[in-house]
Amino acid sequence: MRSHIGRRQFLVTGTAAAGVLAAPPLLRRAWAQGSGPIRIGVPTAITGTWAALGAQVVRTCKLVQKEVDERGGILGRKVEFLFEDTQGNPANCVRKAQEMVERGKVNLFTGIMASSEALAVSAKLQEWNAFFLSAINGAGELTAEKYVPNFFRANTSGPMGARTIALYLKDAPEKTFYAIGLDYAWGHSSVGVFEKEIQRAGKEFTGKVFAPQGTKDYSTYITRIRQANPNGLYVAMTGDDATAFYQQAAQFKLGEKIQMVTELVDILNLKPGGEATLGLVGSSRYAFSIDTPENKAFVKRFEAEMKEVPDTFDGEQYQALQVLFKAIEKAKSTDTAALIKAMEGLEVTSVKGKVVMRECDHQGSQQGFVVKAVKRQGFAYPVPEVIRTYPADVVTPPCRKSSYS
Amino acid sequence: MGLTAFLVTQGLNAAALAALLFFISIGLTLIFGIMRIVNFAHGALYMLGAYTGFTVALLTGSYWLALIGAPILVGVLGLVIEAVVMRPLYRREHGSFLLVTFGLALVIGEAIRLGWGPEPRRFELPEVLAGSVTILGEPFPAYRLFLAIFGAVVAVALWQFLERTRLGLLVRATAQNAEMVHALGTDVHWIRAGVFALGCALAALGGVMAVPLVTAYLGLGVGIVVDAFVIVIIGGMGSFVGSVVGSLILGVVQTFGNYYLPDLALAAVYLAMIAVLVLRPAGLFGQRE
Repeated sequence: MRSHIGRRQFLVTGTAAAGVLAAPPLLRRAWAQGSGPIRIGVPTAITGTWAALGAQVVRTCKLVQKEVDERGGILGRKVEFLFEDTQGNPANCVRKAQEMVERGKVNLFTGIMASSEALAVSAKLQEWNAFFLSAINGAGELTAEKYVPNFFRANTSGPMGARTIALYLKDAPEKTFYAIGLDYAWGHSSVGVFEKEIQRAGKEFTGKVFAPQGTKDYSTYITRIRQANPNGLYVAMTGDDATAFYQQAAQFKLGEKIQMVTELVDILNLKPGGEATLGLVGSSRYAFSIDTPENKAFVKRFEAEMKEVPDTFDGEQYQALQVLFKAIEKAKSTDTAALIKAMEGLEVTSVKGKVVMRECDHQGSQQGFVVKAVKRQGFAYPVPEVIRTYPADVVTPPCRKSSYS
Repeated sequence: MGLTAFLVTQGLNAAALAALLFFISIGLTLIFGIMRIVNFAHGALYMLGAYTGFTVALLTGSYWLALIGAPILVGVLGLVIEAVVMRPLYRREHGSFLLVTFGLALVIGEAIRLGWGPEPRRFELPEVLAGSVTILGEPFPAYRLFLAIFGAVVAVALWQFLERTRLGLLVRATAQNAEMVHALGTDVHWIRAGVFALGCALAALGGVMAVPLVTAYLGLGVGIVVDAFVIVIIGGMGSFVGSVVGSLILGVVQTFGNYYLPDLALAAVYLAMIAVLVLRPAGLFGQRE
């Protein structure tokens, strides 16, 4: 067939479209951060592979905003969240954050999705005189090699999750392990720590493979794993990638011979996996079944509003905001320097128990949880149940380290 | 796993992936061939097919109805889009189609987010497809086998339609010279509308077929449409055979490339495209500009 538009024009239009995709949205109105409401920037993944996780961040922020309103604000000021879509892309994330700083006079950030985004934003914080409290980002280096004073992490990091599950597996019957991770900062960080820790536990680590974000077909990776034939498979995947992987692994009956363990057990992935994910064991950053009074109250409130139980990043975002508000109250200000000072050494009892924001590297020292996907009454899908808890001092890495040796 | 078992199962994996890629690239290439439009909304229509299939399966409890229903519904939507959005623009230059189809992609994507929410959606497969079959001692998902066979059946059926039927002849003639066909007394508008709807329906069919592999999620259409563009460029724009061969090449490159060189997983597809463009600048089955 003959064509009037040639290949060249096709390529040009394609490139142009990609450019339009990346272009900034309409300019936003400018705000001034004064004594009015406390404005918190949440540049997160509202569309793209991590949209479902971004939705957790957004809904929990909205719930917290309601709670704060009910108790009369923080320092008598209301809280306002500014949501922007980054699609999980570091360049987008930096641009959106910069817009918030310059036009919105925002100096507080949280809810950023990917570690690659967090690393990009973290590098700009001092220039912007801004403060960023991670609720999600797992890459170990954020509080180690890439430490910056304006960055704090309230959540369990990738290395902490990997360490927790490795400690648990020490007593497990499985002898050999293989690992699959998503091919970006967090996946590498998590698999790297797991490899070291599982060897320290006296097991054999037989190999690893990394799949790019947005992989559609996991069959080659599954073939590779099957050929390696380990007793256990460590999975460091999240979002829609994890859902697709578990679904395809079940179709290939991978779990029949190999015990799958993971750094992150999310209800989001258990739901579509159905029966196939029953019995999945993993460390958990947050599970609704954690047995603390604070968590029970949170789950009750959450269920009343959302008609479902909170998932991993609901809990993590909630904890991070509790930590942030405690620091603002202690500092009696939202000024960046004052907040950093207030945050260092801050101790908060949150939904996951006690969190201490360490002065030396700004990592939140906290317990590690191991969960198992089980059937539970009232749920149509497997849910995570806490089967083991490890104390903060074994789980949290040494200061400014992303490994444990 | 023996070498034979490895090659056979990987070959089947490649064929299943190629089938999925074919459903989306064939619509893209048909629409381009007959309308000279690069349809940027194609990925969004594919995603819409997946979500529509989910809803049909949810309401009727039948996978088979979802497989038939989603393409029909999205095909009808394609007719509406052609009549309302595209038709007034045919006299304009191609740039306006770029903007319009791109805008459509955003509108459809956002509508899906509002309508179905951000959580991934899936449906249960019927018993016969949910299990696995044993191929040379290795368990292989029955669904992937179905996907590969179904892709081949649809490809052959479409080819027969284009080559052997009078309507197919008109479609090919319109692609060659629409004015002449019009002058000879055939209403080209209807052929354009029909092909556009067919392309949309095929994209939707691909979307439904993708759900058991990757679920229906909001980023579904983004990655695969890039692959589809690559296939269209490799195969030659507007070429049916090019689209089939291009899908197979991409399926094989991704499957075996990922296995032997996992570090190049993302680059493999583009390397294949560069190699083809260097050797045959108009694509394997395309004609020179």
